[in-house]
Amino acid sequence: METNGTPQTKAGDWRSYNRVLLPPVEDLHKLEVYEEEENGYGRLRTVLEDDALDSDEIINIVKQSGLRGRGGAAFSTGMKWSFMPDKDERPRYLACNADESEPGTFKDRQIMEYNPHLMFEGILIAGYALQIDTCYVYVRGEYTDWISHMATELQKAYEKGYVGENIMGSDFSMEIVLHKGAGAYICGEETSLMESVEGKRGYPRYKPPFPAQKGIFGCPTTINNVETLACVPLIMEEGADWFANTGAEDHPGPVLYGISGHVNRPGVYEYPTGMLITDLIEEVAGGVRGGKDLKAFVPGGASTPPIPADRIGGVTMNSNSLNEAGTMFGTGGMLILDEDTDMVSWLRRVTHFFQDESCGQCTPCREGTGWLENLVTRIDQGEGNMRDLDLLLDLCDQMEGRTICAFADAASWPVRYTVQRFREDFEAKCKPSVHPVSAEVSGGADSAVAATE
Amino acid sequence: MSSFDVQRPIVELPDQNPDPAFSDDELVWTDAEKEQIEAWKDQYAEDQGAIMKVLWLAQEKFGYLPPEVIKFCGETLDMTFSQAYGVATFYHQYYKEEKGEFVLDVCTCFTCQVCGGYDILHYLEEKLGIHAGETTDDGMFTLQEAECLGACGSAPMMEVSNGPYVHQLTKEKVDALIDSLKDGKMPAFTSVTLPQDEDEMGGNRRTDAEQTTTYETQPRGEHME
Repeated sequence: METNGTPQTKAGDWRSYNRVLLPPVEDLHKLEVYEEEENGYGRLRTVLEDDALDSDEIINIVKQSGLRGRGGAAFSTGMKWSFMPDKDERPRYLACNADESEPGTFKDRQIMEYNPHLMFEGILIAGYALQIDTCYVYVRGEYTDWISHMATELQKAYEKGYVGENIMGSDFSMEIVLHKGAGAYICGEETSLMESVEGKRGYPRYKPPFPAQKGIFGCPTTINNVETLACVPLIMEEGADWFANTGAEDHPGPVLYGISGHVNRPGVYEYPTGMLITDLIEEVAGGVRGGKDLKAFVPGGASTPPIPADRIGGVTMNSNSLNEAGTMFGTGGMLILDEDTDMVSWLRRVTHFFQDESCGQCTPCREGTGWLENLVTRIDQGEGNMRDLDLLLDLCDQMEGRTICAFADAASWPVRYTVQRFREDFEAKCKPSVHPVSAEVSGGADSAVAATE
Repeated sequence: MSSFDVQRPIVELPDQNPDPAFSDDELVWTDAEKEQIEAWKDQYAEDQGAIMKVLWLAQEKFGYLPPEVIKFCGETLDMTFSQAYGVATFYHQYYKEEKGEFVLDVCTCFTCQVCGGYDILHYLEEKLGIHAGETTDDGMFTLQEAECLGACGSAPMMEVSNGPYVHQLTKEKVDALIDSLKDGKMPAFTSVTLPQDEDEMGGNRRTDAEQTTTYETQPRGEHME
């Protein structure tokens, strides 16, 4: 719970933090302002003109900075970049993942709305380091307004010679293409995104071969999240050490926290990683609405397991701390649920989401997500039996790790952990059992799944 | 949301052989559109990459995508009907059947759920006299339950006809929206001010936003489904 009596933040003096991803500059989304106020595309110019900053050196700097992907998996960005093979005759692609369809997540949109050129500059620096020919920015189809705003700004960048042939007079050329999705959650999965860019159904692919070997159109491809790429120019300007020393050691850097749900002041806030969850809820977001108590906290989107209120003390928003608490960083889209929330109904909507969005390629996921919804719905309607809870956990076992992509895992984790951590809510809605129900073991005689943690 | 029942198929395929709604004479691209499609083809190593953009264009032009339109789009890019049809049926936002003039996508995914998304959906169902998924008799409105639209901080919200977002819905706001849509007026783009901008800059940083709003305490959902 608390370390030595007082909870320890890893975000340092966050109250006087100066924003860097979304610095307070009026009209920063316009190229003129970005050039004038934020040394716009200056970092790209440095990279292009400084011979010492070659491909390997940039990848090294990003590795040293400790930047981890902001799209959910929190994988080391420098590491991912180093997987790209040596340049051969094939074209090379970068995909900027702006699909942002994880429920509870709305932070990438703020970069697209308020600071799109930072993203473009990050794309170009990454493109230079990885010798990319074309970058596809895969934006979800619902963001129509933001796509047209970005297209205007991108056109300006083309006209200024920041994108296209021989960028800033160098021999580096790169195209940026906006690709509009059409409403499929699964296209945020990297291999599904590649299929979608190729103009196919968004079915995830087997890995290996990994995207770095065989990605878009069979060519080497790297996929990064919007916020990840937006961090790259900042690392180039301020240095790897600055980035590594911002926020938590294991998961450093500035990060956008998208806070929503039962709080007084929701919204997207930029702070270093490693913020105490209690600070974020109480001080940043103004506390739980109506003076209620907290019931559950979801750190980063639908697929990150919720944690009950009595377990958030001392937990900070970085991978290690959240993993210890039994959840994940995810996308940083935090959902706060107050004491009156019915976790069964909430879970029913979560399972409905996954049922609706399963691409249908793998049987355990296509059928499993439907049955998860069916079972949770039955319990929610008061028709469930106690043994359905065990059946739910058993079903999760049958789904996890048995499909091509991680969607089935993402669908089963919230079910597994919500049932385990809020079991009393579920039992209260089930028909009373005439048989004694074991709290220790679930799933019948041949299973040894713990019913509660 | 569904009630407990025998499991339904996940993808409900529309009728694949209806009487064509568009004749061959109607299924042509204008010169400007042809030029646009050629430009899109150049963006991808294979022409097929442009199919999503071509389908969007066709949906804008024809209103929705019946099989003959999908086939036409596929032929433009040398794709078979099955390939193009596969793409069109995979994505939610491509309308495979005719919709109302305005499509109201009310987000009910879990953040909106706990902040009143279903209250708004039920209110609209009552107001328009239809259920989610249906179109009003006058062909004006189609009401749909949408999955997370990525505006959780300003829930409950909806998207109108794959276009502008309407944030922080209340019953009064819904009434006003329906009235203005009936007059044919689409809602303007609304920029939601970052809370830190409000503190540090005294308001929205964008001087070109047609409309702005700030993040506020979200309502608490009465109905969870």
